[in-house]
Amino acid sequence: MQSFFQTLVSGLSFGAVYALVALGFSLVYRTMGLVNFAHGAVLMIGAYVASTFYLSARLPFAVAVPTAMVVTGAVGLVIERVLRPLENKDFDLMLIGTIGAGTVLEAAAILIWSSAGRGVSSPVQTSPLNVGGVRIPAYDLLVIAVTAVAMVALTLFLQRTKQGAAMQAVAMDHEAATAVGIHVGRSNAISFAIGAALAALAGALVGPMLYVSPTMGDSLGIDGFAAAILGGFGSVPGAIVGGLGLGVIGSFAAQWFQGYSDLVTFVVFTVLVMIKPTGIFGERTVNRA
Amino acid sequence: MSGKQRYSLGAAVAVAAAVLTAAACSAPGASSSSPAASGTGGASGSAASGPIKIAVVDAQSGSSSDLGQFEWRGVSLAVNQANAAGGVDGRKIQLTLYDDQGDPTVGTELARKIASDGDIAMFGTAESAVTVAMGPILKSEKIPNITSGQSTALTALKSPYLFLNGPTGLTYDTTLAKFVVTTKGYKKIAMLTNNDSYGAGEDKAFTSALQSLGVTPLMSKVVPSDQTNMTPALNAIRGTNPQVLFIGAEEAQSGLIVKQARALGMNVVIAEGAPAGTPLYMSTAGAANASGTIVSSPYLGNDASDAAQKFAAAYTTAYGSAPELHGAKAYDGAEIMIAALKACNACTGLALANAIRAVHYSGLLGNFAYDSSGVGIFATAIGIITGGKIKPVS
Repeated sequence: MQSFFQTLVSGLSFGAVYALVALGFSLVYRTMGLVNFAHGAVLMIGAYVASTFYLSARLPFAVAVPTAMVVTGAVGLVIERVLRPLENKDFDLMLIGTIGAGTVLEAAAILIWSSAGRGVSSPVQTSPLNVGGVRIPAYDLLVIAVTAVAMVALTLFLQRTKQGAAMQAVAMDHEAATAVGIHVGRSNAISFAIGAALAALAGALVGPMLYVSPTMGDSLGIDGFAAAILGGFGSVPGAIVGGLGLGVIGSFAAQWFQGYSDLVTFVVFTVLVMIKPTGIFGERTVNRA
Repeated sequence: MSGKQRYSLGAAVAVAAAVLTAAACSAPGASSSSPAASGTGGASGSAASGPIKIAVVDAQSGSSSDLGQFEWRGVSLAVNQANAAGGVDGRKIQLTLYDDQGDPTVGTELARKIASDGDIAMFGTAESAVTVAMGPILKSEKIPNITSGQSTALTALKSPYLFLNGPTGLTYDTTLAKFVVTTKGYKKIAMLTNNDSYGAGEDKAFTSALQSLGVTPLMSKVVPSDQTNMTPALNAIRGTNPQVLFIGAEEAQSGLIVKQARALGMNVVIAEGAPAGTPLYMSTAGAANASGTIVSSPYLGNDASDAAQKFAAAYTTAYGSAPELHGAKAYDGAEIMIAALKACNACTGLALANAIRAVHYSGLLGNFAYDSSGVGIFATAIGIITGGKIKPVS
C-alpha cells in the first residue's frame, strides 16, 4: 500500500505540471478554436527565462517565476500578432504557423542558451516529508499548490472579470461579440499571453524537477495536449483533471510496465478517449475557422 | 484582411518553411567548397591532390546535440592542429559536418550521402544506435569510421571499417563492478537502466560483470529513454534497501535519476560509467546530489595528466569552455585517423582501415592498439565525485 501511495504522489506532482500545460492549450482553444502547437516551445522558453533569472541573475525563485511569466507572455503576444491576419480566415495556415513558431523558438533557444541543457537546483532544500513511509518531496507539494492557485485564479478571471467574460463571449460567437463592441483581436491576444504565461509557469516549475533544454517542450507539450483532450479540450477543470489523471496513469504505468510505460500510458489514453471522445468534462467543440 | 495580404502571408510562411526545411536538411557548419579530391570512399589506395575530405556525423539538433557538439569540437581541434602543422603530405584535411539528429534513420541517409559526396572517412556518431544503423552502409561503401559509441552491438557488426575511440561498455562496467564489489565490499546492488541501445548494453554488461563476481542484483528496473519521472522505478528500488544504485542511462537522464532519488531521501551510493563523468550529469543532478558518485571512465577530468592539461588548454582557448570525456574521445579518434593517413599517404578504403588498425597511439584516454573487432583501448579508471569534481581513486 505504501508503494501504491508513493506512486500516486509521484504521478500527482508530474500531473500538476501537465495540468498547467493543458490549461494553456485549453485557454487558447476555447477562445480562438486554435490548437497552439508552439505551446511546448513556449514552455521551454519560459523555463529558460526563469532559470536565467534564478541562476544567473540570482533572483529569488519566487521573483524569477513571475518575471519569466511576464517575459514569456510577451512572446505569446508576438506569436498572436504574427498569426492575427489569419484569424477567422485560414485555420490550417494558422496551425502551420504555430508549428513554425515552435521551431523558431527552439532554434532561438539554441542560439541564446546553446544546445546543452542546464540543471536547476530546487528552491526548496528541505528533506522530503515522511507520511506513513510515503516520502513526499516538499517541492512537489509546492508545484501542486501553485497549480491549484493558477486554476482558481484563471477560473475567477474568466467568470468574474469583464475581460474574462469578453473572452468567453468571443469563444461562443465572435461575430456577435464584435457586434456588441468587443475587440476580438485584443481578446485573442490576451488569451495567447495568458496561455504563454501559464506555459512559462509550468516550465519554471518543472525546471528543478527535470532539467532545462531546448527540446524539453516536445514531450511536455505532447503530455499537456493529451491531458487537455482527456479532460475535455477547452475546459479549465478538465485541464486540471486531465493533467492529474495522465500523470497518475503514467506513474503507475512506469511502476508496472517499466520500459513500455509510454506505450501503456497512451494505449490507456486512447481507450479513454474512444469511450468518451469529448473528454471527461465534455467541453463543447469550438471551430471558428 | 484582403486576399492579397493573405497570399503574401502565405507566401512568407511558405518561404520561411522552405528556409527552415533547407536549414534542417543541409549540413550545419558545412565547410565543403572544393570538389572531392580523392574519389569515393569505395576506392582503395592513395589519392593525388586536393583536400582530404572527411565527414563528421553527429547530432547537432535534438536531445543529443550537446554530445554532437562536444564531438565536433574535439575532432575539429585535432584537425585544425594537423592542418596548421602542414596537413598530410602537404594536403589539408577538410571536415564536413552532418546533423544526424540522433536518429538512426537520418544516420542511414547520411551514410549514403557521405559516400556520394566523396568523403573518404567518417568521425561519429556519438550514439551507438545511429552508428549501428550506419555500419552496414559504410562497410559496403568501404568508408572507415571512428565512432564514440561504446555499445557491444558495434563490435557485433564485425566490420573491418568500424573503430571505437574509447573502450566498450563492458570494459567500463567490469572495472566498475570490481571496484564496487571487491574493493568497497558492497553486495546489495540495484540497477536502473533505460531501454535504448546504450542503456540495454549497460544493463547486460553490468549484470554480467556482477555475476562474474558472484553477485546478483537486488532489483533491475528499466525506464524509457525519454522518461522524465523515474520516481516509480526508484520507489520500487528503495524498497529493496540497496547500498549501491547502478545507473545505465545517458547524461541528462542519469542526472535526473540521481536528483529524483535524493528527493525521495535515498542516500544510496551511485555507480555509473562515462555519463557520470560529464558536466551535464553534474549540472542536472546538482553537485550536492552527485557527490559520492563512483565513476568508471578512461578520462577522469582535465587535470588527470599532462596531456589532458595541454588538451584542455587548447580546447578552452579554441571554444571558450573546458572539454569533457566526449571531446577528449573525439580528439583521440581524430589523432588516430591523422596518424593513419600520414602512415599510408592519405590512402582510402580498406587500405586506410588497415592503417588505422596498425596505429599504436598514446592518447588522452590511454594507449590505443586496435584488435580485429575495432576496439583499441581496454581499460578505464575509477574516480569519485567530490565537491563537483572527479577525484581519481589511487
